[in-house]
Amino acid sequence: MTSLHEMKDKGYIPQKMQIKLFLGGGISLGKTLLLNMGDLKKLRVLPNDAERYIRPKRQYDIPKFNNNMKYCESNEKYLRPTLYCNPLDPEVIAIADKLGAYKKTDREFAEAAFHFVKEKMILEIITMNEVGETFRRGTGTCFHLITAFIALCRCAGIKARYKMFAMNMIKAWYEATVEADPLVKKWYDSMGYFMIEGEGEAFIDGKWVVAHVGAEAERQAAAGIPITKFGEDSIGNWFSAIPGTIMISESIPYGFGTSTKFIKKIAPGSMERVNISIQKQIARGRKIIEETGGNEAYDKKARVEKGAKKPELKIERKPQIIFDN
Amino acid sequence: MTINYDEYIKKFDSCVSKYIPKINEWTPADYAVYDPKDPFKVPLNEAKELQFNAIKYQFKRHYEHNKMYNNFCKDMNIVPDDIKIYEDLERIPLIPNEFYKDYPTGRDFALWLANIFTGDIPNIKINGKNPSFDDVINAFNASGLAVSYSSGTSGRHTFIPRDMRSFYISEYSAAKNVISMIYPIWDYNMHGYLLMPNPFKTNVFAGKVCTIYYDAIKQVDVAIDREINTELIKLSMTGGKGLKTKLVKSSLKRMNIKMVDNIISWLEKNDKEKNKIAFVGAPYILYMVTNKLKEEGKTFNFADRGAVGTGGGWKVQENTRMPLTSFRKQIEDILGIKHEHCLDIYGMVEGNSWLTQCPEGHYLHIPITYIHPLVLDKDFRPMGYNEVGRYAFLDGSTFSYPGFIISGDQVRMLEHCPVCDRPGPVLEPEVTRASGKEMRGCAEEIRKMISDDVKE
Repeated sequence: MTSLHEMKDKGYIPQKMQIKLFLGGGISLGKTLLLNMGDLKKLRVLPNDAERYIRPKRQYDIPKFNNNMKYCESNEKYLRPTLYCNPLDPEVIAIADKLGAYKKTDREFAEAAFHFVKEKMILEIITMNEVGETFRRGTGTCFHLITAFIALCRCAGIKARYKMFAMNMIKAWYEATVEADPLVKKWYDSMGYFMIEGEGEAFIDGKWVVAHVGAEAERQAAAGIPITKFGEDSIGNWFSAIPGTIMISESIPYGFGTSTKFIKKIAPGSMERVNISIQKQIARGRKIIEETGGNEAYDKKARVEKGAKKPELKIERKPQIIFDN
Repeated sequence: MTINYDEYIKKFDSCVSKYIPKINEWTPADYAVYDPKDPFKVPLNEAKELQFNAIKYQFKRHYEHNKMYNNFCKDMNIVPDDIKIYEDLERIPLIPNEFYKDYPTGRDFALWLANIFTGDIPNIKINGKNPSFDDVINAFNASGLAVSYSSGTSGRHTFIPRDMRSFYISEYSAAKNVISMIYPIWDYNMHGYLLMPNPFKTNVFAGKVCTIYYDAIKQVDVAIDREINTELIKLSMTGGKGLKTKLVKSSLKRMNIKMVDNIISWLEKNDKEKNKIAFVGAPYILYMVTNKLKEEGKTFNFADRGAVGTGGGWKVQENTRMPLTSFRKQIEDILGIKHEHCLDIYGMVEGNSWLTQCPEGHYLHIPITYIHPLVLDKDFRPMGYNEVGRYAFLDGSTFSYPGFIISGDQVRMLEHCPVCDRPGPVLEPEVTRASGKEMRGCAEEIRKMISDDVKE
């Protein structure tokens, strides 16, 4: 059984900000649910003649595990197993081996893991599960995919962790759709507490390098944005984090899996519709990429359109700024 | 008898002398701002020369005293010596406005501000382990700086670290630009109403920049006389559901009702005493006032003794926006203030430019003695006149940060004002936001779908 010390040390106990988001969301969503029970029907069912979600076929083969495959068994922070993320799972070890664990440099391996997860694994809204199952299925939410990336890195002896944040609403969409309807606004705002986004981070050459693996190139193309590279942060580029909500953690916390189960419980119909919509976005993005001449050509074009070059700021200490302890 | 313009502006300069540095301390930037008697009537060649000298001077300063900008210029392969003639100005690297929206929190925010500052900053003591934005800004400003920020309608505040010299330039030019356009209405003895937060109780740029109003006009009342900080703005502008948000919103609602009543009483008093009046600030407040007067069937006649300067858009009240022409008509119908004395001002926290509408055509005139305006295409290259694109500018008046900015606004620039004879380019009056691109994360996908499903 996990001791309290271990729970705290590994980050299983939600951070203050997570508790604040969960509690706030629980009260707000509970109130919205109680006062709008009629809406639940719309979220639960798909009409008989509606299109159904068919899970896409896994896009890779998993090599057979054998005892010659190397893996990291350390109990050091950021290398050890955590909730839903067991780097010693046979599927993880086999894929890490195939990607070049212990044969490549840390950066080369992390990049290979990044490309594997981002390009071969598909976004699907589904409840949380162990990382081995995610690899067997080949799909998952952004947190399944981040966990897959982190497990591969840890398996290869590279420290890896989660970066979570509450995302700022997409203003254009919010104004056009949500604000116009008070009922929709109620639902949307109360769900906002639960909707935590994330990225992975791998410790390479003395620095934490960010890995935004949750969005396939096709979905990024469908949104008209560049294809994320290893080391490129989604925050500030195409996501805006609500200031003060960025949390770094070794593990997904307790309660996180329950919240996805809860959403699945109250809105299974909506979740299926999300997955259908994601497949359509992927198809649309694939067409855009093909028409532009491939991933590289699309990315180049999107980066030109995304915006002008920004200065890079390396924040340095200044003797004139005196911090009072 | 009408006062002649030179006398008029001399009077203004004497009222606001504390904003003007001693002439022996003037740099090319100060000449470009303070020397022209009418910022919008300087002959084009003369204006271009002042502009070139000011921008080149500031470019060299920022290149030499701002590490962030120096590295940026090196990346772009540009050095100050490359700027030899007027046409070279467009080679100066522009900073997208998003850069000033991308900052860390807590102590790192203080270091971020210090790192984007040009030149030496004073000693600044920051208290607390995790200071808020307001804590940091107040500490900077207590040390003699004038850090201010945008209202954050895009979801993020833009923070700009000005020194007092740059801030005074901004205040001076905002006031002078309006006063020159409403000539000969301004008079020190007129009565002013500031439709903004009290400038002494906020660091929101649009409010803070109005302290000069208290020097340019003898008697000023203020609409929002309470402290306005980032926390309060966040609570009033977001769709938060907490008790604190509800209390703030309810208090703001009560305050708005009281504010409208106070302004109506003020109008009645000044009408009775036949005083000259001037409103400056957010148009939505005046819109609420005139709506209430319309409901009550009351009108006033401030025809030759009233002026209105609006700016800052409609912010929280964006959904009640009306076209500027309808707004002016409502002001004329209800308050009697002539449409030529109801002018909108376009500015932003990132610059000191304060484009001001001309009374004749209400086109936005640019103070070209220190501002080089640009309209950029989708690849961020300068376009010619009459094209719609992203507004950008080189501001030759900012000492403490590089004011070479790509804004988030979409405009059309014309070579000349189609209505009046003031030289130099103008912007068409309605400025809109350029659309940005964002994508939904998987959580956001669920949220959107559930909201859509509820809506059906």
